[in-house]
Amino acid sequence: MTDHWLLIAGLAAGTFAIRFGGFLLGSTVPASGPWARALKALPGCLICALLAVILVQGGPAEWFAAAISLGVALATRSLPLTMLAGIASVWLARGLV
Amino acid sequence: MPRKSPSPAASLSQFRAGLRDITPLSLGVAVYGLAFGLLAAQIGMDGLTTGLMGLFVFAGSSQIVAAERMAADAGLAVAILAGLALNLRILLMTASLHAELAGRPWWQILLGVHLTSDENWALMHATRASGRKAGYWYLLGGGTSLVVVWVLATGAGAGFAGLLPDLTSLGVDFAFTAAFILLARNLWRGMGDLAPWAVSATTAAVLALVLPVDPSWALIAGGLAGVVLAARPRGD
Repeated sequence: MTDHWLLIAGLAAGTFAIRFGGFLLGSTVPASGPWARALKALPGCLICALLAVILVQGGPAEWFAAAISLGVALATRSLPLTMLAGIASVWLARGLV
Repeated sequence: MPRKSPSPAASLSQFRAGLRDITPLSLGVAVYGLAFGLLAAQIGMDGLTTGLMGLFVFAGSSQIVAAERMAADAGLAVAILAGLALNLRILLMTASLHAELAGRPWWQILLGVHLTSDENWALMHATRASGRKAGYWYLLGGGTSLVVVWVLATGAGAGFAGLLPDLTSLGVDFAFTAAFILLARNLWRGMGDLAPWAVSATTAAVLALVLPVDPSWALIAGGLAGVVLAARPRGD
């Protein structure tokens, strides 16, 4: 319970600091060049690293479900459908393994 | 450029235009929010707590990443760090709004930066590109719709999921992984992303396997490795 509120407080304070920091820095934040490229690349790189960490800790059932989810994500770009496909396929694969 | 903050009537009309134009994007955010509510319920958050998280944080993908790290028992500090790392890009967006915000009353600046998200920021630029006026109040109109929808949808999703029996046995623990796969698909900008993403994933996977520390550090190191590659000087 307390952990949830600490999580919310930490994320809220840090995210607001980033948003407000951007305003304060203004034009000193380069809109192009290496730093801008780094900031723009950060979300995708972090998500891929996170997926890699999750998947090396999983097994064949998770790998199978990840492949199905990727197919659905590519085809539909829909979050609920991708989650549904992932849950259903991992449930199926775990039942079979 | 026309002067900003003309008459209250013009501000109100821009606010309304932003509120109206964002509607298709808000509907997408509603569906996304319901899905995040399900993930929040996985770490035991109720509807009210989840809704308030949406109001105070208002950054969906960082909320998903932080919740997943909590579900993986990575610890509070790492969960916050991973979530915030994902939000660093917002710095570029609010920095580009400096001229739009400067000179306004403090409450308008604070509200404006908090309500800046991918959707209304991109919509503001798209509207300007089409030749219509879209400034501070247009951004705020879009942001208001987005934050209301995000709070209600995430709260409702968590409240509803909390009523269901234990879902882990049904494979719902995999919902986070599926959500990240969809996020990656939406973040993909083209072949230029391939090398940084591959380096990130490989570094993270190898470190997670060999390092005797929490795998969250492997994820952060992997993310940074890809970013360094993406930032390298190019011959363009």
